[in-house]
Formats: sequence, C-alpha cells, structure tokens
Amino acid sequence: MLDDKKTEKKEATAKKDLSRRDFLLTGGTVAAGAVIAAIPSKAVAYPLSVGEEKTYPASKGYLVFDSKKCTGCTTCMLACSLVHYGVQNLSRSRIQIIQDSFAKFPNDIKIAPCRQCKVPVCVQNCPVGAAFVDIENGNVRRIDSDKCIGCGTCLEMCPQQPHRPVWVEINGEWKSSKCDLCIDTPYWNEKGGPGGKQACVEACPMMAIKFVSDMPDQKETEGYDVNLRNDHWINLGLVDDSEVVPKISLAWPSRPGGEGGEE
Amino acid sequence: MMKGGYTGKILRVNLTTKTVSRIDTEKYEEFGGGHGIGSAVFFDLVGDQLPFEAFDPRNLIIMMASPFSGTFMPGSGRCEVQGLGPMLYPIEWFGHSNFGGRFTAQMKFAGWDGIVVEGASDEPVWINVINDKVKIESAKGIWGMDTWDTQQEICRRVIPDQKFKFGEWAALSENCYTTQVPAVVCCGPAGENRSRLGALLHGPGSQAALCGFGGVFGSKNLKAISFIGSGDVPIADPQAFMDARLWFRKFQWNVDNPREAERFGKAGPYALISGRPSGGNVLNRELPLTPARAAACASCPRGCRMRLATGDSNESVCAGTMVINVNGSVKFTRQGNDLMQRYGLGHWQLMPLMRYVATLHEKGILGKGKQLDTDLPLDLTGTFTYAEALMRQIATREGIGDDLAEGCARFAEKIGRYEEDVNSGELSLAWWGTAVHYDPVVEAEWGFASLLGERDLMLHMMSNYPLHWMAWSGDPYLTAEEAAKLYTDAMVPYQGDPFMVDHSDGPTGIYSDSKVKQVAWIKHYEKFWVGSGGFCGWRWPMCITNNTADRRGPTPEAEPKFWNAVTGNNLTFVDYMDIGHKIYTLDRSIWVLQGRHRDMEVFPDYVYDKPTRGEDMPMYIDGKWKYDTGAGRTLDREKFEDFKTRFYKFEGYNPQNGYPTRNTLEKMNLRKVADALEKKGRLG
Repeated sequence: MLDDKKTEKKEATAKKDLSRRDFLLTGGTVAAGAVIAAIPSKAVAYPLSVGEEKTYPASKGYLVFDSKKCTGCTTCMLACSLVHYGVQNLSRSRIQIIQDSFAKFPNDIKIAPCRQCKVPVCVQNCPVGAAFVDIENGNVRRIDSDKCIGCGTCLEMCPQQPHRPVWVEINGEWKSSKCDLCIDTPYWNEKGGPGGKQACVEACPMMAIKFVSDMPDQKETEGYDVNLRNDHWINLGLVDDSEVVPKISLAWPSRPGGEGGEE
Repeated sequence: MMKGGYTGKILRVNLTTKTVSRIDTEKYEEFGGGHGIGSAVFFDLVGDQLPFEAFDPRNLIIMMASPFSGTFMPGSGRCEVQGLGPMLYPIEWFGHSNFGGRFTAQMKFAGWDGIVVEGASDEPVWINVINDKVKIESAKGIWGMDTWDTQQEICRRVIPDQKFKFGEWAALSENCYTTQVPAVVCCGPAGENRSRLGALLHGPGSQAALCGFGGVFGSKNLKAISFIGSGDVPIADPQAFMDARLWFRKFQWNVDNPREAERFGKAGPYALISGRPSGGNVLNRELPLTPARAAACASCPRGCRMRLATGDSNESVCAGTMVINVNGSVKFTRQGNDLMQRYGLGHWQLMPLMRYVATLHEKGILGKGKQLDTDLPLDLTGTFTYAEALMRQIATREGIGDDLAEGCARFAEKIGRYEEDVNSGELSLAWWGTAVHYDPVVEAEWGFASLLGERDLMLHMMSNYPLHWMAWSGDPYLTAEEAAKLYTDAMVPYQGDPFMVDHSDGPTGIYSDSKVKQVAWIKHYEKFWVGSGGFCGWRWPMCITNNTADRRGPTPEAEPKFWNAVTGNNLTFVDYMDIGHKIYTLDRSIWVLQGRHRDMEVFPDYVYDKPTRGEDMPMYIDGKWKYDTGAGRTLDREKFEDFKTRFYKFEGYNPQNGYPTRNTLEKMNLRKVADALEKKGRLG
C-alpha cells in the first residue's frame, strides 16, 4: 500500500516541468485560477481536481500487449483511427507503435497504449473536466471532445513516454483525445468498453493485444507488456532466448522425390 | 469526385530545373492507382519522345501509391517503381519493380498519391517531403554513404532531436505530430555509379531489385526520397472497411491456434506458403536460434520478415538472404547479404552474375592473368573476403567490376559469349536479361507471362506457391483434381475451366486455349490488383488456402470488397480486371514504341532443346489429374508460337506482330495511344 501511495503521488505530480502551454500554466498545477479565467464559463461545470489528493475508481478494463509478438504492421493503429474518426491516420491513433527497422530485437519496437492509470493524471489535471472517469462505462478514463478546449494540459502532464493523449483535429479545432477502450466508435458496429470489443484487439493479426479486467502492475514500464506467446509461436522459430528450443525441427527436409534445398 | 483512398495529388519534381509541381490524381482515376496511374503518367509525359535510354535525363522515376496504401488492407504495403529499366535487355524496357515496407503509407499520410521525378540534378540531392512541404536538399555528406547509413542520416536531418516533444512525439509542424520515423528510399554506391544492378533500398532489407532503378537514381544525381506525414487517408465507407478487415481474419494464419498445426507448421515448403509469420528469412533455422521477432510491412497480417537480436539480416527475405553464402558461418552469411543491401546491389541480378563469374573462372577464362584478367581473390570463393571484394568492385566499378556492373547480359555480350552461354543455358537468362526463376517448360505460365511482360514475373501466388510448392511439399492438402477445380473457380471471369492449370503438354495443357486464359488472367491481375493495388506477390491472389476448412481463399471476393469500401466505387472483380487488361495494353504499347515485336518474344535455345528436370505441378494425363514433374520435356517451338498467336488475338493485338490494334485501344479509351503507335507505323 505504501508503495502504491508513493506511485500515486509520483504520477500526480509528474512532468509538471514539461508544461509548455504558455497561455495556460506557468508552473504545473498552481495556475488553476488563471485557467478558470481563461476558459468559457460553460466549460467549468465540472469541479477542478487540479492538485487535489483524490482517489479514483479503478477502470474495469485495460489493454495489455506483447511487444515481442508484435510485427509492427500498425494494423491496430489504423483500426483505432478508423473506428473513431472514419479515416486511416497513424497520428490519430490512440495506441502508438514506435519502431526502428535497423535496431536489434527486442528494442526495435515500443508499444504505447493508454494505461487507464490508477491515478489518471490527465483527468486530475484537466482544467475543464473534459477528461473524466466514465462511471457509467466501467470507469474508463476518457476525454469528452465537446468539452475539450484544446489547452493540451493532459498531453503535457501525461507521465508516460510517449505521452498517451493524442493531438487531433476535430471539426477544425485541435484537441486532445485518448483511448476510450472503444466506448465511442461512430464508425464501427460493435459495442466497446469493458465487456465489449476493442478495435485494436480485434484487428491485430498477431493477437498481441489483449483486454483484461484486472489492473496491471503500475510500475513504470512493466506490467502492461506481457507474454501472450504459446508453443505455436515458439515453433515458428521466434524465441526471445536462444536457450529456448522449438518442439519441431526448423531444418528443411530434402526435396521429396528429388534434389534437396529450396528454390 | 474521388471519395476515398486517394489524397488527390501526385508530386512532380524536376531535378534539372529544381522545380516542384502537382498533378491531380483525379485525372488518372480510371487507371486505378499505383502501376496503372504510373503507366499513364509515363505515357503522357514522355511517350512521344520514345525511344531514349534509361540514363537519359528524360527518363522518369515514378513511385505510385495505391488507394490501399496507408490503410490496413492486408498485404498492400508495397510501392511500385516505374521507368525505363537499365537492367533490362536487349532494350531498356519501360519496367516496374516494387518494394515493401512503409514508404507508400508515409507518402499517403504526407498527402501524396505518388511522386514523379524527371530531369537530372547538376549536383547530388535528395528529396525531403514533410506533409505538404517539399524541398530538394543537397546530398552533401550523404552521397557515397551506403543505403543503411543514408537512411539513418536522413532521418536525423528530417527529425532532429529538438523536434521531439511529448516523449517520442515529433512535431512536423504546428499541431502535426508523429511517433513514426521518415520512410526513406535510396540508392547505394552501386546506384551512384550507375550500375545496372543498382537497387533501391528502403529500410535494411526491402529492395526494388529488378530493372536497375538504383542506377537511374544515380544518373539523376538523386540519392534518396524521404516522406513523413501526419495526415488522413480518407475512406469512403469506414464501417464496411472495418467489417471487411475483420472478415478477412479467417483467411489468416491463426498464430495462437493454427489450423492443422502439425501439418502446416512443420519445416519445408509450408513455412513459406502457409501464411505463417517469419518464414521469409531463411537464415535463422539452425540451433541455437537467434532471438527474433516476425516483422511486417505496413498492414501485412503475415509478417514474413524478421528482426534479430543481432540486428543483421533485419527485414531481408528470400533472395535477400540467399545470394551470398559464406561457407560454415550463418553469421557471416547474414552479414554478406547485408553488405549487398548496403551497397544497393539488386539480388536478382547479383545471384546469376556471381554464378557466371564462378563458371568463367572454372573454365579458365576469368582469373588472374587470364583472358578476363582480375585481381578478385577467386581462390577465396565461399568466404566473406571474396564476397566483399566482388560486391565492392561491382558497386564502385573497380577493376573487372566496371564490366560486371553492366549486368549479366551486357557483360556476357561484351566478352562475346552472350549467344553461346545464354542459348546453352550456362547463363540462364531466360527473359529480358533476368535470371530464370521457374521452369517455363513445365510451370509454363510463369515463363510465358514473364516473356510477354518485360521482366521476371515474381508473382508467387499465381500457380507457384499454391500449386507447385504445395505439390512439392510432398503433403498437398488438395488432390491435383481438387486443386485444379478450386483454384480455377477463383479465376473469374474464366472460372469453370480447370485446364487453365493443367501443366501437361497434352491437348488441354500448356499450349491450350485454357493456358491462354490463365496467362491473360495473370497479366490483368498483375497490372490491376498487384501493381495498382500495391499488393504483395507473396500474399495475392489467394485462390486457395490451407487456413480455411473448405480451402477456399478470399479471391475474388476480397479484392472488390476492400477496393469499393475504400474508394466508394461500386465495381465488380471483372470490371477491375478489365482495367488490368487496359493497363497491360498500355504497357505493351509503350514497349512497342520502344521496339517490341512478337519476334523478340522467344526463349533462349536451351528452353526448346534441353530436357528439363521438371517441376511438381498438377497435370491432366490420360484422362486423369495427378501431380507430376514433366521431367525430360522440352518446349515445342511451333506450338509455343501458335500459343502466342492465340494469346495476341485473345488480348486484341495483331498476331502478326503483337502490336495492339486501334479497335482494342479505342475500346479502352486509349485513342491517343493508338495515334502514337500509328505515327510510328506500329499500330496492330
């Protein structure tokens, strides 16, 4: 518990020094008053939670992934942008696959979905309550784009690398968005959210993304990156440890009825 | 009005005048995308100036995306490259090559449907595209680099450290962010030195290997093209597109629970043809295995490549991992093949060339103090040292490398051995200066379609993987009769004729009207779906598959389902195949303007004279279907010439010369092409 408290505290105050939206914040969470003055009154319907010590009901859903199983095809990213915006655009995707073709496995790929944090820094710091915990839909941490004023605070404050909110153009205005576990997918005929389906999970051809109900370990990078490979994967000759031996031989047999080798 | 799939504009860059302009994609929509639009643009811009040489500044480099590029259409991540190909022989035909990766995806996200490069720069340059901003940049400090260093240096120049914000998000411009790295395609030292073996490289292992377009980059003083973007690819019917993508899952290899895992999961031919991940890299099969992931091109559900814990042979597949063989060392074999990629040498030309050098050495013709004098360390053949020396000399045109850089055919011609060695089969260049791939005497459609094209067919998913490799596995999942029926059921509009895949030399076999239809189907599918849809030849067409209970593949249902969802069109598979026919006819017209005649469409003598060792294929013999090899067969000259006559007629070309007729061209809305042929006296 003590560790959890420390983590919460750390997340809640993390990245204050990264704030660069000069019209909004001069130094982390101290400028709440200035924020109120700068935004339309209609948008202040939600109480501000900036700097408050507050607990949030845990999300009833999370995306975990296997970064060693991922092939970097980016199908998940395109499925995400499609079901939410009706277009294909990696920059609109709420799950990001970052890769370097020249790098060495396993450090050539990083998978970055929203973590549905125990203490959602985005929700905690949103000056207008656009980032919220959706009590009616499994406590998913969401952003209401109608309420979002495009201040970018959530994007600035997210402690993850890369920051998980996504900066998108909606009806001509630039706003933040984030993973909603597919609760609101105007371009997909499926029910999303906890208990429903997620576009990235469904579309991933490697089955390298999984929806889980239990909160993963909240440590910095581990916890969400899990092993989703079984023997079928190892039998492809794809191991992460050279001591692991597939149960089948990978050596090609001689050509049936004739010369060996391949063409 | 285009509804989806296209960004609406093609980038036109003139390196002579250093100017940049746009072509409206809509003007060319009738050609589909990719290859089709590329051919039409080529004809419009330089068709009236043909013939000229590939290294002439008038030659174009055309790289076209398709409506599918940048989308999650399975297996559509390839980029089509077109222009006059300096590797092709005896005439540098208007050719095409393509490569996988994520180049066309980034091109589309940047807001472009393609790029056309014309002219030649007076100094080395590269083209930098960041969304709608296009700059012709100096290649100072990059020219001379290998292909890997080039790409990484360009990435650093496009997105320097100070552009990173919010972790790995880089600001391309105000409000425009991406976590992706620029997609760069470039030539290596081989291309810079105008080697006809010069390939284009994207990533560590994705080559446009055919045609020698690396050399064309070099002739234009063009080192690289980079795209990075953060924009939308519009989709006409997003719900239908998502539904189609999820429907397609049943045709994929199920990585957690594959169908008949014991049978299709074992080593051997099924490793490549079952659709399972990673099988393309042949250099990680021996214990202890190097830890690796399967790596995919953009949107590919298969991921045939690997990225290794050692970082070598990353993303190389097939020939990209098989040309250099360092005896006794997988590690140095990988690195030898990587060196080929770094020099930017085309694997499909380097492979026969290395064999030919060895043959000439064995014959005592080539070596130190020999007729072909060279300081190559031939006594070290099979070592990394030899492979390095040979590739370096070719790439830098040093010593004998200067002649070898002209490619197999022209090298053989220069030393006065072309006729003898090609006709004997010693130098197995079976079509247009490219190496024989599959036996034209048995797997006839591969050879026929190559010869009736301009380079090696390179489409394994025609009858090659599904039929030849399945039979060769020794454990085919369909009998020859079932395979012939099921496979040809998908070949709309010629379905119902199983003899299209009869590979016997009997009355319904390789010289039959059924084979005419199959070759036509291949050319039309190649030009529209593969070339214009950016499809991978290892994925499409999928007429049969081991991944479904009834063994039916998604072809021909999937193609129009996806295309219509993306573009908003409402056409049938056959409508699109007709566009493929139109594109093939346009390409053929361009070849005719360059000098193509039916008399040139012949195989070397050995194909007609030397008995084949055979290849496993379905055959209809004595009233029964079976798998057989056709061993001992030769191609019958007269019957093949008769086949050609019927093929030209079937396609609407004059059988006397193989030229397209005015009637055919006008029916295809290609009147201006007919006029151009008539002006040259070459209308069929």
